[in-house]
Amino acid sequence: MSQSNIEDLLEFHWLMDMLQTVDVGIVVLDKQFNVKVWNGFMESHSGLLPSQVRDKCLFDLFPHINKPWFVRKTKPVFELKTRAFMTWEQRPYLFKFPNYRPITGSEDFMYQNITLSPLVAANGTVENICMMIYDVTDVAESKKQLESLQVSVSEQSERTTKIHSLDKI
Amino acid sequence: MYSVLICDDSMVARKQVAKCLPQDWEVAVHFAKHGAEAVQAINEGKGQLLLLDLNMPVMDGYQTLQAIKEHKLATKVIVISGDIQPEAHERVKSLGALAFIEKPVKPDILEAVLNEHKIRLKAGEESEDEPSLDPAIRDVYQEITNIAMGQAGDHLARILNVFVRLPIPNVNLIEVSELHMMLTDVAEKDAVSGICQGFLGPGVSGEALFILSDSSFGDVARMLDIKEEVDDRIQLEVLMDAASILIGTCLSGLGEQLDMGFSQGHPVVLGQHRSVSELIAANRLKWRRTLAIELSYGLEGYSVQCDLIFLFTEESMQIMNAKLAHLLED
Repeated sequence: MSQSNIEDLLEFHWLMDMLQTVDVGIVVLDKQFNVKVWNGFMESHSGLLPSQVRDKCLFDLFPHINKPWFVRKTKPVFELKTRAFMTWEQRPYLFKFPNYRPITGSEDFMYQNITLSPLVAANGTVENICMMIYDVTDVAESKKQLESLQVSVSEQSERTTKIHSLDKI
Repeated sequence: MYSVLICDDSMVARKQVAKCLPQDWEVAVHFAKHGAEAVQAINEGKGQLLLLDLNMPVMDGYQTLQAIKEHKLATKVIVISGDIQPEAHERVKSLGALAFIEKPVKPDILEAVLNEHKIRLKAGEESEDEPSLDPAIRDVYQEITNIAMGQAGDHLARILNVFVRLPIPNVNLIEVSELHMMLTDVAEKDAVSGICQGFLGPGVSGEALFILSDSSFGDVARMLDIKEEVDDRIQLEVLMDAASILIGTCLSGLGEQLDMGFSQGHPVVLGQHRSVSELIAANRLKWRRTLAIELSYGLEGYSVQCDLIFLFTEESMQIMNAKLAHLLED
């Protein structure tokens, strides 16, 4: 093997390593929704090895995912090459993973933001899509806490105004 | 004529403030003895600018600010008070006051504050300060948006099986206050819902704003082939999906024209009134005006009305103008 081939191979190796270790879930799906790539994040959180999921249909692996809904969601990604988004506010999670911080976290599961992005092949068509899963549990937790705080503050101020108006009478 | 309302329970203080107004500023001055009178006067159009004291009977300054905020009264407020605690400053600012001046007020300080907030424009400055855009550049932006829209419309028509009435893009420089009004409108009327999404290309950044009237939800859901009953959760989903399709197709069209790719951040729901005003308030100092491309969509045979607004930062315009320079040449 020539020197440049080896270099390419080495580069490919660390690129793959990066994909594997980045703290974001990366899943590549083909048009039939078979899993093509399943990175370390997905492996650790789901407990499923890449060898267990590779070339298997997402809906068989995770029967709780609503198939018609998910297919509809991916349609524009395949056909229009636009991205699609899912937020935790809309759906707390797509994959039910336990909280990253099982001891100090207050939520049982991981809240997820998900981006579906088209992978355009050399011929310009989209044969595969990339799904990126972000852990937003901390954001969700603090937003929920903030909201409950706002509710209690407004309740309290309502009470005090009532007392004030009673005072005046 | 510009109207100034001075609200203070002390007659001495009212006179003192009135004397401090810039001599050469032609304004109609009105007075109020407490907050309730001030609110009434503003409602009667007597207070484009309100100079407000804090400690007053009947309705104090804080309550007045609250009322102005609640009823969305069109007035700019500068608080003039003897209360010099830092917390008082913070509190009135958070309630929407532009500035805080300590009593007794001095003419030069008042003038500086008026200038700082562009309330009193120096002679000749007024016309210059109006947002304006070189017609040639406006044309270019309009044209590239038209082309991008054409492509986006074609995509949409194919995926939704409907005829898309292509909107005429409205290209303008808008001021922060205008955007503020627009967003407050979204947050206030429960009849519309909005989403915003940041986008980023090399040297170009901005935000896309998607606003859908609530009466459109049923139709959009049908077009997106959603069979479930359209409850709150589904509405959010419809909003997200419609927004990503429209924003995505438009951005890729614009990107093609500008020869750059855009990445998109995660969309954020603009629902709660509070988050909207905070969103803009935090950014208030960073920018004054921005390039806005407004698109208003309609779909044939459906009562769907939605607006898409692309806002570009001022710095982005330089890069975009350079990229589009070839279109400007004769």
